[in-house]
Parts: sequence; C-alpha cells; structure tokens
Amino acid sequence: MTDRLPPQPGEWIERQRTVRFRFEGREYTGYAGDTLSSALWAAGVRVLGRSFKYHRPRGVYSMANHDVAVMVEDAMHVKARRTNLRGDVLKIEDGMDLVACNTKGGVDKDRWRITEKFKAFMPVGFYYKAFYSPRALFPIHERMMRKIAGLGTMDRAGEAESTPKRYDFCDVLVVGAGPSGLSAAIAAAEAGAKVLVVDDQPHIGGSLSYQGAGDRTRQFLADLAQRCDALSNLEIRTSTEVSGCYGDLWVSLVDSQKLTKLRARTLIVAAGAYEQPAVFHNNDLPGVMLATAAQRLVHQFAVKPCRRAVVVAANDTGYQAALDLHHVGVEVAAIADMRADGQDAALQKSVLDAGIAIHQGHVIYEAHRGDVAVDSVTLCALGRDGVPDTARSVSVDCDGVMLSVGWMPTNGLLHQAGVRFGYDDGIEQIVPNTIVAGVFAAGRVVGVFDLASRMADGQRAGRAAAAHLGLCEAPGDRSPSHAGSSPSHPYPILKHPHKQNFVDFDEDVHLSDFHNAHQEGYDNIELLKRYTTVGMGASQGKLSNMNAVRILARLNEKTIPETGTTTSRPFQHPVPFSHLAGRRFHPMRHTPMHDWHRDNGGHMMFAGTWYRPEYYMRDGIDRAQAIVGEATHVRSAVGMIDVSTLGKLEVCGPDAAAFLERIYTGRFAQHAVGRCRYGLACDESGVIIEDGIIARTADDHFYVTATSSGAAAFYREMQRFAMIWGMNVTLINVTGHLGAMSLAGPDSRRVLQTLTGADLSAEAFEYLKFETAEVAGVRARLMRVGFVGELGYEIHVPASQALYVWNKVMEADATVRPFGVEAQRLLRLEKGHIIVSQDTDALTTPAEASLGWALGKDKPYFIGQRSLRVLDQHPQSRRLVGLTFPDVPARRLPLENHLILEGDEIAGRITSVAHRTTLDQPIALAYVPPQRTEPGTKVQVRVNGRMIEAVVTSLPFFDPEAERQKV
Amino acid sequence: MPLRLLRFGLNKTYKEPRMFRAPATLKDEYDVPATLKDEYDVVIIGGGGHGLAAAYYLAKHHNITNVAVLEQGYIGSGGTGRNTAIIRSNYLTPEGVRFYEKSVELYKGLSRELRFNLFYTERGHYTLAHSDAALRTARWRAEVNQHLGVNSEVVDPDFIKKHNPEIDITCGGHQPPVMGALYHPPGAIARHDAVAWAFARGADERGVEIHQQTAVNDIEIKDGAVTGVHTNRGFVKAKKVLSAVAGWTTAITQMVGLRTPLVIHPLQAFVSEPIKPWLDTIIVSGSLHIYISQSTRGELVSGAALDPYELINTRSTLDFAEGLSGHLIDLFPCLSGVKVMRQWAGLCDMTPDFSPIMGRTPVHGFYIDAGWGTYGFKATPVCGLTMAHTIARDEDHDLIRAFSLSRFERMTLVGEKGAASVGH
Amino acid sequence: MKIIHCPVNGPRPLQEFHYGGEVRDEPDAGAVSDEQWADYVFSRSGEPGVKVEWWYHIASGTWFIAERDIVSDEFIRTYLYTDGPSATAGSNP
Repeated sequence: MTDRLPPQPGEWIERQRTVRFRFEGREYTGYAGDTLSSALWAAGVRVLGRSFKYHRPRGVYSMANHDVAVMVEDAMHVKARRTNLRGDVLKIEDGMDLVACNTKGGVDKDRWRITEKFKAFMPVGFYYKAFYSPRALFPIHERMMRKIAGLGTMDRAGEAESTPKRYDFCDVLVVGAGPSGLSAAIAAAEAGAKVLVVDDQPHIGGSLSYQGAGDRTRQFLADLAQRCDALSNLEIRTSTEVSGCYGDLWVSLVDSQKLTKLRARTLIVAAGAYEQPAVFHNNDLPGVMLATAAQRLVHQFAVKPCRRAVVVAANDTGYQAALDLHHVGVEVAAIADMRADGQDAALQKSVLDAGIAIHQGHVIYEAHRGDVAVDSVTLCALGRDGVPDTARSVSVDCDGVMLSVGWMPTNGLLHQAGVRFGYDDGIEQIVPNTIVAGVFAAGRVVGVFDLASRMADGQRAGRAAAAHLGLCEAPGDRSPSHAGSSPSHPYPILKHPHKQNFVDFDEDVHLSDFHNAHQEGYDNIELLKRYTTVGMGASQGKLSNMNAVRILARLNEKTIPETGTTTSRPFQHPVPFSHLAGRRFHPMRHTPMHDWHRDNGGHMMFAGTWYRPEYYMRDGIDRAQAIVGEATHVRSAVGMIDVSTLGKLEVCGPDAAAFLERIYTGRFAQHAVGRCRYGLACDESGVIIEDGIIARTADDHFYVTATSSGAAAFYREMQRFAMIWGMNVTLINVTGHLGAMSLAGPDSRRVLQTLTGADLSAEAFEYLKFETAEVAGVRARLMRVGFVGELGYEIHVPASQALYVWNKVMEADATVRPFGVEAQRLLRLEKGHIIVSQDTDALTTPAEASLGWALGKDKPYFIGQRSLRVLDQHPQSRRLVGLTFPDVPARRLPLENHLILEGDEIAGRITSVAHRTTLDQPIALAYVPPQRTEPGTKVQVRVNGRMIEAVVTSLPFFDPEAERQKV
Repeated sequence: MPLRLLRFGLNKTYKEPRMFRAPATLKDEYDVPATLKDEYDVVIIGGGGHGLAAAYYLAKHHNITNVAVLEQGYIGSGGTGRNTAIIRSNYLTPEGVRFYEKSVELYKGLSRELRFNLFYTERGHYTLAHSDAALRTARWRAEVNQHLGVNSEVVDPDFIKKHNPEIDITCGGHQPPVMGALYHPPGAIARHDAVAWAFARGADERGVEIHQQTAVNDIEIKDGAVTGVHTNRGFVKAKKVLSAVAGWTTAITQMVGLRTPLVIHPLQAFVSEPIKPWLDTIIVSGSLHIYISQSTRGELVSGAALDPYELINTRSTLDFAEGLSGHLIDLFPCLSGVKVMRQWAGLCDMTPDFSPIMGRTPVHGFYIDAGWGTYGFKATPVCGLTMAHTIARDEDHDLIRAFSLSRFERMTLVGEKGAASVGH
Repeated sequence: MKIIHCPVNGPRPLQEFHYGGEVRDEPDAGAVSDEQWADYVFSRSGEPGVKVEWWYHIASGTWFIAERDIVSDEFIRTYLYTDGPSATAGSNP
C-alpha cells in the first residue's frame, strides 16, 4: 500500500479490516470500504482498465461511477460470474478475483492496443464507409467487429436470480444527501413531512465528504447529521440510487439487493453536479483525473492521488483541490488557471502561501506519457480568442493532473419529471427554466455553488415542498444567484494536431471526430451523437454530453440553448435485469379440481391464465392413444371433463333479455325460461369474437357461459354496452365463484340420476333444458347440452363444492372416466363445432364460419349487424367446411394451417384437424372458396411441399341428426 | 484493412463532403440556400427513412428531382431512429409477404447501392410459440411464406435449443414452455440511423433538398386538390404532397380533413450495456411479449408489446422495464446480472388490421404512407420504391393496392392481425 | 406509474385500469349509408389534443369517462358516463 495516506478525518475505509483480493492474477490488499480503484491506486497500480476502442490504458478518472474504462469482471473460474462492474465504485471483498473487461492478454499487455496504430484509418463513422463490398465479406467483417466490440463477457451458464421488490411512499423524496439535500430534508421534515433522503454513496455528506474537507465542512456535516437524526420523520438511505423518475413521481430506487418502487408526493433533486473534464491531448492518461476524483481519493479513501500534481483550474474549487492535495503531502507543481482574472483573492493567497505556482490565463495543452501514465504536461498561455499560444508554453513534470474546469448538473431526474432547461451564461451551466408542480431542486444542480448558499437553497426547497403539501407557508425567495467567477468554463476544449484529445472516454471519441462529423453534415446534436457515438457508451455521456454541446455550438456558431441540451432517459446508471425482474410472479389459475387432475395422471397444460388437463396419462399408452381412448369412452359410455375455466356470467334485470338480444346475434326475447341455447357474438365490424351457451333461468335472469380466454373482456364490454344503452340490467362475473363439469356419454343420464332427485328422463329433462337441482346434495345448475355430441349435462356448482361433486360423480359409477381438453377438442370437431379463434381469425364473419344459422332473422339490432349488412354485399371469399381424406396415407395427412391451393393461389387453409378419431377416419375443418363447398368436391392441400387430395364433407361428421344428444 | 479506409490515413485533411447539404441549423453559407424554393414538384413531409427513401427513388427511378423533404426535427428522428432494427418478411398474408419480401430484397443490395454500410446482417429470426395456438399461427405463416418463396419453417424445441443454447425452453416454470418456433433464416438487423443517412445522401446527390427543422403547419387545398404546404419557414407550392410521418400522421391528416382509423401508441424498448457477442439470432416470443437481439456493438436491444393506451408522447415507464426484464430472464436466465442501460420509446400509428395505409387518397395530390405500427423500419426501402411510383404516376403501385385507405370504407381489411401481436 | 382518479374508487395506479378507446356515438344503423357506417366502425379522431375516452377500473368493474390530453398524458377530469361531464366527483385537482 505504497500510496496510502495516514488516517484522514471522516475517511470511509476501515483500517482494522484488511481485505485481500486478486486483480489480473495478482494479489492485493486494501481495506474494507475501499473500492477496487482506490485499493489498486493505493497499491500503486496505474493501469486499471483499457478503453473501448483504442484500448488505451486508463486509471482513476471520476471515482464517481463514470469510470467506464475501468470495467472489471469475475475471473473465469468464479461461480455466478459477474461482469461490467465499475472499479471506481465496486467495493472490494475478501477473496474477490477480478480481471479487466475487454482486453486480450490482460490489462498491462492488452494486445488489442494495436488498434490505436490504425486510428488514422478509422475516422468517425469509418465503419459506414467500408466493409460493405463485396457483400459476401461483410458477415466476416461483422463477426470480427462484434468480437472486438462489447465490454464484459456474460456468464452464458448464469442462473436466474430472484430479487425482492419493495414498495414505499413518502411525502418528500430528497435525492442527494449533500449539504443542499440534507438542508432540504431537515426543512421539510421540520414542517411535518415524511421525508426520505436517498444517496448513491455509502455515506452522507455529498461534496462535504470530499471537497475541501477541512474542519469547517466536517462541522457542517456533523451538525446536519445530528439534526437529521433528531427527526423521526426523516429517513436516510445511502448506497441507494434513484435510477429513474416516472409518471406522477413513481420513482425507482436501486440498491445492491433490490428495486424499491416509491410513490413520492414531492421530489427535491439535490443531486449536485458531475465534474467535467477538459479536452486536451492525452487527457485520458492514467494520472489525469478530475479534481474531485483526487479529492475523493484523499478524503474518502486516504489514497494519495499522485506525488506531484498539476491542477488545471477554471474555477475556485480547483484552488481548494490544490490546497487539499498540498495538505496531504502532494507536491502541487502548478495551477494552470484558464481564467485571466476573477479569482477569489483569499483562496489565491492561501495557494500562494502554500508555495504553489499559479499560471494565470494558462491552460494545459497536452499531457505527456511516461511509461504508461502521465509524466509531464505542457501548459500554454491562453490567448484572448481562447486559442492556446504554443509559443508561450511551459513544461512541468508531474505524475498527476487534476482537472477542475466545470460541471454538468445532475439533472436527469428533473428532466424525466418534466422540467425543461435553459442556459445561464453567468455560470455557464444548464439550469431549469420551467416549473413542474411538486418538483423542486436545490444546490449545484440549479447552479448554486457556494456552501452557505447551497444550505440556504436546500432549506428553501424543503420548505417549498412542505408548502406544496400544505404543511407550511411557501417561502418567497428563489435560489440565490451565484457570486464570483463562473464555476464552469465556457469552452474547456483544445485542438491538438495529434488528435488524442478525448471528448468521450467511454467510446474514445476525440475532438476531430466532431469536426469531421460536422463537416459531413451531422450538425444537429442528436445526429452528431448518433454518428460519433458520443454519449452512447455505458456512462451515457456523463463526462461528455456537456462538452459535446459546447463543441457543436461553436461549430454551428449558435448558443447552447439553440444547440440543444440532450435528453435524459432512465436509467441514471445501469440496472441489472434481475433487479427489474424481481421475483417474476406470474400467477396461474387453478380450477377446484386441479389437484385431482394432477393426482390422477392429468397431463396439465397452460390454457391462457389457467391450467387444464390436456389428457390423462395411463401406463403403456401414448398421448394420441390416450386422447382417442378418452373420446371413445365418451362415445361409448360416459366421461367427465372439468369445464370450470368457462367464463360464467349472470345477466339479470328487467332488460336482461333485450340486452342479450343486442349482444348476441341470435334471438333471446322469446327464449323460454329453463332452456339453453347457443349464442354467437360479433364485434362492431361483424367479426366473430365469442360464443357460448345462454340459459334463461328466470324471466329476468340469464346464465351465460363464455370462452375461457375471452370471458373477462366480454364481460367488460357487456358492462360498457349496458351503460351506453341505458338498460336496466345487472352483470356479474361468476367465473371464479363456480366450478363446472361436463358429464357426457350415453350412460351420463344413468350415472347422474343416482345423484340427483331431479327427473332426468328424456321427457322431463329434454335436450337444452336448464334446471336448478341438487347433485350429491349440492345445489347445482344443470344444463343439458351437447358440445361433444352426446347425451350430456353440465353441472355448475359453487367452487368450494366443485371437487366434492366431481368426486361424487366419479364414485357414482365405475364407468365414469375423466377426459381432457384434447379429447373434448376431438369430439367437438367430429360434431363440426367451431372453436372461436382457432376456426376463426381476426376477420371471420358468421357466414364464413358457416354459422349463418345463428343470426336472428329480422332482428332490429345486434352488435355487428349493420356491418354484416355491408359485408353481405361483398362476394364471399371463403367458407368453413368439413374435409375428409379418403386416399391419403397417415403420414401425408395435413396439420392445422396447411394450405389449400388452387393452381398458384392460396385458396384456403385447414383450421382444425384430427388424424385419429372415433370415426375411423381423419377429419378436418377448413376454409375453402365458396364454389368449393359442395360435399364431394375435391380440394388440394399442400402438406410438406406435396399435394394431397381432400374431399369436402358435409358437417357434422358424426351424428348429423343429433340423435345421440337428443335421446 | 479495406482500401476504402486508406485514404483517411493518407490524407492530411479530412476530405469527406457533406452528406446532405441543407443544414440542420439554418445558415446561408452552404451551397444549397437555406431558404425554401417557392415551388417543388413534390413535397415530402417527414425526413425519416420512408420519406427519404421516397425522395431517393423519385429522383432515381422517375427523374423527379425538384423535391423537398421537410423534417420538423432532424433526419431519422422519429421511428427510424427508435426502432429495434429488425428486418424480416415472414408475414401472414400474401399481400404482406410479397411486400416485405421486396423490402428485404432491396435491403440486401442497399449498402452497395448507397455506398454506405447499413450493417445489414442476417441473424436468423425465431418467433417462439408457447401454446398450441401460437404454434398453429407459426405454421400458418411458414406455409404462406414457403408458398411465396420465403425461407421460413416451423422448428421444434430441440432445434431452438441447439442454436440458442442459452434459452431455457421451460421458461423456469414461470411461463408456458417453448413448444416450437417459426424460424426465418433471412431475418436480419441493420443500423437504423444509417438507413436514413444513406437515403438522405442518395437523394441529396440527385438534387433533392432536405430541410431539417422545417415543420409543416398546414396544407393548402383547393377544389379537392393539394396546392401547397405552410411551414414554419413560409408557404411552399406543391401539387403533390406525401405524408410519411408515422406517429405524427394524425396531425397531418387533420390538415387535409382526412378521417383514418389511425391511433398512436408508444412502443418502448431498452438497451443493455455492451457485452461480448453471445446472441447471434433474433428471438421473439409473442406469448411473453418480448423480442431481443444483440447489436454489432454488443448491446442487447429488446422491446415488448405496444403501450396499452393512446399517447403521442415518448415517455418511458418503469413497469415496462420490469415486465420486459422478467420475461427476458424467464427465457434467458443468464441475463440476470446484465444491466439495462437506457430506456426509450417511439410512436406507432396503428391500424385495426395491423397493415399500413399507403397510396393515393380522396384528396388529389395528397399521398399517404402511414399505419406503420411496429413494422415501419423493415419496410423502409419498399415504401420508398412504391410511394415514389405512386406519386410519379398518380397510380397505386401493385404491391400496395391492398393497403389503400379506401379499404376501410369498403370494409375489406387485410388479415395480418393474427400474426402481429408482437410482430417485430 | 401514473395515477388515475376513478370516480368511484379515487386515485389508483394506472395498472388497475383498462383503456377503452375514445367515446364514439353510434349512429342510427338504419339512417346511415354504408360508408358512414364504416367510418363509424373504423375511423378514429387520433390527432393530438384532448380526447374523451372510456376507462375501466378492473378491480371494481367500473367504466367511466376521462378527458385526457393524449400528448401530455394529463387526465383533465374523470366522471361516470351516467353522470356526465358536469359531475366533479372524480376530477383531478
């Protein structure tokens, strides 16, 4: 630990806890609380990572979660390997074994650094200008580019993580636990608001924890902390980041463990500002860093940033940084102050007293590379025109360059909350210029830099938020305006013939790329961004967007507001998929008989939101055999299927019949009490959307079943129509309240009769009768219906008793066997009954589906009727018919959606097909042209590229007179 | 090192010319005057891929070069720059398949034609099916595609797993398992912005004027025919005006008094941090409402279904990011530790039959290219080609007859909806 | 996530709601031409501006009307269909 300083007041490391870890195969030690970067820097390591494009060596730059070039990942052997971890914020832990991302042969000897040798041949957007011809070669080029691009390597065998999610609420959310944020929080909490302060750093204090961290600031921080502690309605969460701000202040908080979704009533953004780099030749060398990065190293981690520093300043905070360095024994060789005048006299005196040379009106022109890191710099006098005068230069040896030239406000959340921005020429900073109700900001983010002013500004914002909540009077004052020289330089950007002056460190975009892109016509900030990729990297331009705007404004000779401030989108920093995914709850619905099916061999399938038994597995029998077996048993004896998933709706009230007349295509006004009938519903455009059975249980009461998947939407639409039509009808969705089973087969009457007192004889309980009766002592709705084409009964009972009734029926006779969804599909196909959405599509009309009979004649109105009247005038293009395949061997039989062809034209398609049936022949439903609907007509079906012949067959395939269901 | 790049290293100065002359920031010193002419033969509203492509083909195929493309923002700022860059032709209806197949054909030769690398790369496109119904739809599409000569087939879970080993076919039990997929080997991705830039340069080279930051505020009509457009920079005469503005179409059609079925919904997407290549294919799951591919840069680009309500606004939502991430992990457990970098949204102009509205309109001289929903990017070149034809001859191109606005009045819709619930 | 003021249930998160499209008055089917009918069925007023829309609170099964700016996504007011716009119960502050 060669560069570790003696204990610093308020340092974040725990010196009693040594941490051992490996980086790039070598072992290092640090302290608990160290980040990877701070520990390595303390150990004298200067190359922490390699840049994205040219693989240039990179070291500490921001220490603020923007050091994208210092991206590491777990070594290959580590289990649950992580990648794209940022060294500047990654806390070291014992046993960590890390390597730098995106190197070939390690960070020191990265062989991909050779790419820099070709930089002259890789100008901005070079990849758009080459590699496309001949076409055949591009895939090879692309593969190579892909390999070189990308950062870390994902663990392809990585397992799904499940993380918790938390919901939270507060009156005032304060983002940033610096002096402004804490002051705001205290003011709001003192007014009585429930306040939450969130900060991404592990400790509170914000800039107080590193900027000019003398006794005075220590005392400020201690006082603020104490006042926060005393307020029970003020909570602080550190190591937590506000990653995005969404509609109505729905805010996402991310910590290492979880995502918290918080509804804030008001938001105060006091997130400070990102320090911005100067753009000069070699401004990315290890040792060149933001002044705040050096200060963070010193005050938070007690690490000496370098031995001999040059500070490049364009503001007073640079002077403070120089003093901070001086105090911990760093020799500050010089301050190059870009300002000709306007310095804070007291600060300047302190600096001079410390023996630090000040080069007023000077700028750094270039940094020089020693072994790997900076070893000297050239400072030049800055002419009036902002151009460095290389004739008046001075060379200074140093191993550290600290940049303090300006700031970009951390205003992303404000942007997302709807605030818009302008530019304050006085402080050369983007500042809010609109107000959004309930959203406030304080401190450096709005351009308040002086410490006392920030605290006052925080207090103002805190009171304003409390006032917005009606807790106190609104404070009248606005943010104090900045006194003294501007904290940010208007143009800290210097041309250099060697063009290694980086604007974007994520993407290795340098200044000449901007000039060249502009020359090519990319003169809008968004175009420029997309063409040069500035701001597109992992830090999303935290260190480059501001300079990019400044550069383009100059190129266009426009102001910054005219040039545009780039938009901010979530996330503030990248968020793991696992955090966003949480525990991935996907609730599924179980019918009351679910466990029974599972215990009795039911092969369960997903059916929308439900589980249903597809078929029942039996030893020695495959799926197809099982399905046909179940179906055959229904045809020959008796079977039972769980139909609890059916949509079940109650429609009651004086207008119930009139209402259904309008909803369904058929007639219901004269429909007799105690009778069921088929109902078909269309949408406004005449397309089939629903079908089901409707039973009239009383004059003013109908019981309606609907498809499992469509029921919720159908119920919702019914409710709306009832309202629009002003009808006196009450609708209740009882889908989940009732369980249902369908008992079908020639023996069904005999079996059911043993369980009910109702007279089930053919005369007393005829086909399509509805009756409420007791089954096994449970009050049930009994419907005699025939979806599968056999004598059969649907039994609807309260869900709580459905399993009981199911068991009773099963036990009533040994011949009762369950059948699953597939057998039911087969049986209904034999009867030619359609399944809406399988045998219909998004444009199918009743006539096309051969359901013209279900349209009530001379009805005054039903939904879709008027559209069907229009469509009736069109020549019909298709019609649903039955098909059989007399001479087709089994292996040539079609599947659903195989096409019917006439010459080269697609003439239709198979919608449902069964290869094995109870009828000893394969059957299908299909759309064919209207001139091909006559039974006996032959049509050609393409199956796996070959044509087969099918024969149009009248429907239904089975029991055309419906004798079996009417017995 | 391609020869093309040598000149950059061997020249002291950067000699690349402007790709599009009329500047985004209006100044008079460029060789094209920043001022608009009094009259153009054709005014194209919308400097996205479609508008620029139409301009390019008008000039190239029809020798109509007195054309202005008016863009309210910067070129490619709408759907062109916001989509997830997937190109495919495995549609459901013959009219859809033929149309998109032509687009794919054009795309394949476009980099060379426009001398601009669009990064068009065939990745193979899988539409996963997690239900019988989805599998049936997959087969339907495969059958129609094969009939029309489009490479597309239904594959089983073993095939999917073999070529995409990171997929968890069982979805961890959180979702219905993958039962099969529609596999479309020519499915490709491209660099979306580059498509706009390349067409812009191609149009510009042929004399078309591209005017950015030029908004159309009204359209002048006399006796049922267009006579010109009012812009923020004054009135411009034109007898032919094309609206190619996707999410802003409803604002434009209002100016000419056209009623359409269009409603605008946002479509969101997000992108991960760059990681080394691992996903070579394009994976779509209609049941899970997701699609994902990995860009050449290494970013995972992913999106979901349309936002559920009308909105002409590109805000992001957290529930989108949460839901999409959950479903992605269901399918790709290895993504757990990968990080999402940025969310964004685009605007989709939706029709009830998931097919575009293209061609002539009842307003003489007013042409429409709209209804692009979630499929506009992949149609860019063919839209340019067919709209240029339609404008030049004042007669709908054969490939777009089915997409006429009048189909709604006639109630003869296109049956694409069944396949397009997540049709990226 | 946005908050919508249901006239019956008060402010609830967007997730609890279903969007029902714009309010359209169905013409008298007998009195309109085929083209007018098709216009009713398919055409929408999708242009930017304030729309009168149907919204549905799923958990309670409540349909109501919202006046919403489809550009800013601001709900201007909400009320029950039967109450009409003069009702203020669910109006957003």
